[in-house]
Amino acid sequence: MYAVETQNLIKRYGKTHALKGLDFTVNPKEIMVLLGPNGSGKTTLLLILATILKPTSGTAKVMGLDVAKQPTKIRQILGISFQEARGFWRHKPAEILHFHAAICGVPKSERGAKIEEIMKGLELWEARNKLFMHLSGGQTKRLEVSKLLIQRPRFAIFDEPSSQVDLRGKRKIWGEIHKLRDEGSTILVATNEVREAEYLADKVTVLDQGKSVVCDTVRNLKDKIAGGDVVELLLEPGPNNTEELREELSMIEGTVNLVVAGENQYRAHVSMAEAWVPKMTSLCYERKARLLSVRVTEPSLDDVFLHFTGKVLETTTNA
Amino acid sequence: MHDIIRLVWFDLKHELRPPVWIIMEWITFTIQLGIYGALISQLVTGISNYQQFYAIGFIVMMTFGIGSHTGRHFVEHAHEGRLPYLLSLPISRSKLFLSMALQGGIELALMISVPLAITLALIGNFTFLSVVGAIITLFVLGFGVAGLMLGLSFIAFKSADIYTAITVGLSSIIIRFSTVLYPLMFLPPSYAPVALLSPLTYGADLVRLLLGFDPSILLDPIYAVAVLTALAVSTLGLGMLLLQRLVEGVKSA
Repeated sequence: MYAVETQNLIKRYGKTHALKGLDFTVNPKEIMVLLGPNGSGKTTLLLILATILKPTSGTAKVMGLDVAKQPTKIRQILGISFQEARGFWRHKPAEILHFHAAICGVPKSERGAKIEEIMKGLELWEARNKLFMHLSGGQTKRLEVSKLLIQRPRFAIFDEPSSQVDLRGKRKIWGEIHKLRDEGSTILVATNEVREAEYLADKVTVLDQGKSVVCDTVRNLKDKIAGGDVVELLLEPGPNNTEELREELSMIEGTVNLVVAGENQYRAHVSMAEAWVPKMTSLCYERKARLLSVRVTEPSLDDVFLHFTGKVLETTTNA
Repeated sequence: MHDIIRLVWFDLKHELRPPVWIIMEWITFTIQLGIYGALISQLVTGISNYQQFYAIGFIVMMTFGIGSHTGRHFVEHAHEGRLPYLLSLPISRSKLFLSMALQGGIELALMISVPLAITLALIGNFTFLSVVGAIITLFVLGFGVAGLMLGLSFIAFKSADIYTAITVGLSSIIIRFSTVLYPLMFLPPSYAPVALLSPLTYGADLVRLLLGFDPSILLDPIYAVAVLTALAVSTLGLGMLLLQRLVEGVKSA
């Protein structure tokens, strides 16, 4: 049985189609990352699974429970960390977490210690008695994540868990999410941050315009891109570094694309770098063109998204 | 039940620590009754005890205020982004709505407790049953008004500004065109039919009747009970249904 399963899930807001017949599954005890730009339907899907929104049509099940028919039962096994924590202006972080822990059934004897541990872990302890309205953006985000880490639900949903958080904080949050998965929770993360997706994901589902474009492990997704490996070459200036050499490099088997990246610099998109690089070095040796550096990189999930959707992810502000 | 109490207390404790707004309401009532009510009663000759009449009218206005605040509270939750959090908690929707209604009820009880005690002391002549009846009437009216505001909240999902403008405008009309400050029989013929459309007319007249006012200047109590009950049941029921459909997005289905 899947932990999460949707079939032909449709959600419309008036004339806007947020989800267009989404088929989607998540295995138990895995971290599934939903990757997509703003407006791709990620948050709508999360809100439907959290039983906050009702689908227009289609089915969605969490741990075998139907979101439309058994919403209260679902809410008893899930927790959601929202994109933005708002609306608690006069409350303090510690009392928000105490309330959340109590209403989610965390035993009274464990609450205090758990809250202290999580708040210290996410560097919120010093701010525990500040008013919510005086917290920074990063602190409110960490508070939002803390709710789930204290609750430790069977199914945890994180909507952009580390946005507005500094890199150190991001790593702490990601580490805690991994720990939650290792304890047996199924986790769904929505993000448009490539680094976050790569760090967290057991599997990635690429969403675009309310539909699932592709779903696989990060490794497999990268391998699916023809010309996915990128080789950057820097040659020594000289008479042998010619246009003919560039043409010959582009003729090497496995070359998908070769572009001039600067003076004496080339960037080659190749199918398998490990096969292409020896051929390239032989050719350069034969043509007496001296290589100063060779750098092999693999495609990012940004490239994966571009490959499958033809679009660039909006990640520059978040990454 | 524990969950409902937790939900109510989570918010209410901030209203009560310190209970400034409640005390301010009590002070406002005392000043208004002690100065304005006392002076105006000298000018009003058609009613023998206008200060008492006014005191009950003022309590009904306070009830209206807290009822509409409770209804609007839900809309504020939605706009502040807190509603999704509340909707995600592991409790049923009915418990969530009940907690909001209970919070409104407690706020109403706290707010009118002192004004009602002062009014009862002023009136002097009342029975235990008549006081209980008056309190029930005020609560039914409060729930009816809260339901009315909930019912109108669908406007807020389109525009919070229009919602605020409509509710403020409607509130001033509902209060002025009612018998809160003057009996129906004293109203000009062009005003009287409009006053019969205001729920406050029925609330104010029923409370006055229960607390011993002259029935000849008040509405038929059976009529008032029927209207208030119908108002509370219909607006709360419809308001919740409408809101649930809006909030959970079924409307677009």
